[in-house]
Amino acid sequence: MTDPTDIGGMDEDLALAGELALRVLSPEDEAAARAREAADPAFAAHVEAWNERLGGLADGIVPVEPSPWVWPRVEAGLTPPVAANDNSIVFWRRWAIGSTGLLAASLAAVVMLLAQPEPAPVATPEPAPAVIRVATLTLESGAAAMTLAYDANTGELYLAPTTEMAGDTRVPHLWLVMPEGGVQLVGAIDGSTTSRHHLGQALSGPAGSANAVAVSMEAPGHTPAPNKPDGPVVAQGALQRL
Amino acid sequence: MSAILTRDELAQALGRAGEGDRAAFRRVYEATSAKLLGVTLRILADRQLAEDVLQDTYLTVWRKAGSFDATRASPITWLVTIARNRAIDRLRSGAAMRKSTPIDETVTVIADDAPSPAQALETGDDVRRLNDCLGQLDDRTGGAIRTAFIEGVTYDALAVRENVPLGTMKSWIRRGLMRLRMCLES
Repeated sequence: MTDPTDIGGMDEDLALAGELALRVLSPEDEAAARAREAADPAFAAHVEAWNERLGGLADGIVPVEPSPWVWPRVEAGLTPPVAANDNSIVFWRRWAIGSTGLLAASLAAVVMLLAQPEPAPVATPEPAPAVIRVATLTLESGAAAMTLAYDANTGELYLAPTTEMAGDTRVPHLWLVMPEGGVQLVGAIDGSTTSRHHLGQALSGPAGSANAVAVSMEAPGHTPAPNKPDGPVVAQGALQRL
Repeated sequence: MSAILTRDELAQALGRAGEGDRAAFRRVYEATSAKLLGVTLRILADRQLAEDVLQDTYLTVWRKAGSFDATRASPITWLVTIARNRAIDRLRSGAAMRKSTPIDETVTVIADDAPSPAQALETGDDVRRLNDCLGQLDDRTGGAIRTAFIEGVTYDALAVRENVPLGTMKSWIRRGLMRLRMCLES
């Protein structure tokens, strides 16, 4: 064996998991390993064990007190924990896990594409008479992707994306997540700039009970079935009543 | 100044944060934010970016705290892993540009085995054992693993810094990792 990386008798998976935890792999190899991690629980457990083994290396790093403004910003971004136990979110997770490697790779690609560091929190617009539902959609990374406000009285939907989705050539589609677990397509949206839509009565009736919203990224020109996205779900957020 | 929490207290606060307890989450922040900023700052070398990533990190921690399992992970290591991965993602997204630092310079800064104040958070034995096992590797391998961890650099960058072929760097680190594991588990 002349390959210098070949180590006789060594468990290849263990080494790869260690490389992934240490983050030394090239972007391509890392994306492949992340997809593996998402699809293979045994491999994911290896990665977790490596994180635990290597974590002590941070012990030598000198702590630095953060600026006083960091905590207020963190606190302002805390969503009610109820979202974490929400059935609809569980649905999305399950859906996402079902898409396994492809989704993980797509998410990694999206994250890599997101160049802008500061997703500016976007305030909802004018003090409209009856904005009753709002949501902040966040990416898997926790970064805010979009703020949304919907007035059920007028059917007006207002969308304010951050820069997180800029540069993606796919078309974001907005979905309603229903309490019983299904989803309903609202339509394609503009991920690059604020926009207004008039939905009329589209969100009345059963659709009005949606308790979360999500964004999938669809291929240009493709319209998914009204009850199932074809592209990866990249952002989601709980719909809250004001 | 950071509040000092023991490992058990931190694990407990993290568990409560996972149930939506904001006061507990605040305690987690106060006890660990200086440590985590140290981690993100070493990777990003830019305070504003590092604090930006710190903010993202704690939002992630808030969302994921419910999945923290104290029987499987040390709380500070779990937090460091999230912060480090976020910082590396940001570094590689191209948002951060940084100058490369010779590997030796890095090692002299970080190869200090003196216990740090934040060590109260970690079980001191685990860290001592890790340092002992790293010390058993040859210097360049141990140094490369430390640098990779602390600065979040890839094989490519490490090979360039050390002026060795990529395959050689991979071999050092892969062998080093496997020896480290064997040592830690012996």
